[in-house]
Amino acid sequence: MENYNTFKQEENILIHTRMLDAPRDLVWEVWTTPEHIKEWWGPNGFSLTTKSMNVEPGSTWDSIMHGWGKDFVSKVEYVEVKKPSFLSYIHFGESEDYDFTVSVLFDEVEGKTLLTMKSVFKSKAIIEELNRKVNAIEGSKQTLNRLENYIKQLQSDKP
Amino acid sequence: MRKPNLAHIFARIYLRIMTQTRDVFQAIADPTRRKIIGMLARKSLNVNAIAREFAITRQAVSLHVQFLNECGLIVIKQQGRERYCEAKLEKLNEVTDWVDQYRKYWDTKFDSLESYLAKIQKKKK
Repeated sequence: MENYNTFKQEENILIHTRMLDAPRDLVWEVWTTPEHIKEWWGPNGFSLTTKSMNVEPGSTWDSIMHGWGKDFVSKVEYVEVKKPSFLSYIHFGESEDYDFTVSVLFDEVEGKTLLTMKSVFKSKAIIEELNRKVNAIEGSKQTLNRLENYIKQLQSDKP
Repeated sequence: MRKPNLAHIFARIYLRIMTQTRDVFQAIADPTRRKIIGMLARKSLNVNAIAREFAITRQAVSLHVQFLNECGLIVIKQQGRERYCEAKLEKLNEVTDWVDQYRKYWDTKFDSLESYLAKIQKKKK
């Protein structure tokens, strides 16, 4: 089972796979109905309110994630809907550049469901920019690199 | 109004986690601790041997060692009557970029999905 759980980056695409021990129809349902999705979607410890969910091409899922005393608005627009095997949607970021398209493939494998989730970003440069932003917030990356170099240097001095 | 997007949520979650738990960043924020890691990277030492290199008390050094231990940057091994500190440098490779956070985030989400699916299937039976 373990080797079905993978993650990789291909240029501007992030790809996750996961084998789930449940029939495909159920997994589809859990992704596409508000009462199910609120049970697992969003950051841990957050709750989720769905304002509207219409799983059809061109329609949207509007929701609010509640956490840390704040509300985080989330909007998803469905692009392709092929029940129960394929779902794709646009995830809206704070500007158009950060929008990304997610496609989720539901494959039936011996009564289980293999999920393949691809997040397609506008460009590889956007992913790199997000990386830089997060690094800027964490701030310590530089210190970390300096320490790493320092340690490498020490180790090469080892007799 | 600026709407927080997922990138910000991830960033904030990690910022929050960083301030709540001892991690590698806090470990290396202090010059004494950086020096201790450097020393241990060369060879394992006991607390007394580490303390000899510093002008601060043995107790203070011991606290730094404990801190590093809690962050997972070193392990303390009992050897006879001595406790030796050994550096665990792989911790320094903790990737901290957005892609890694995205991966971790969805790993967690898939775990939640998995246990939720298990729960509702159990109910049905």
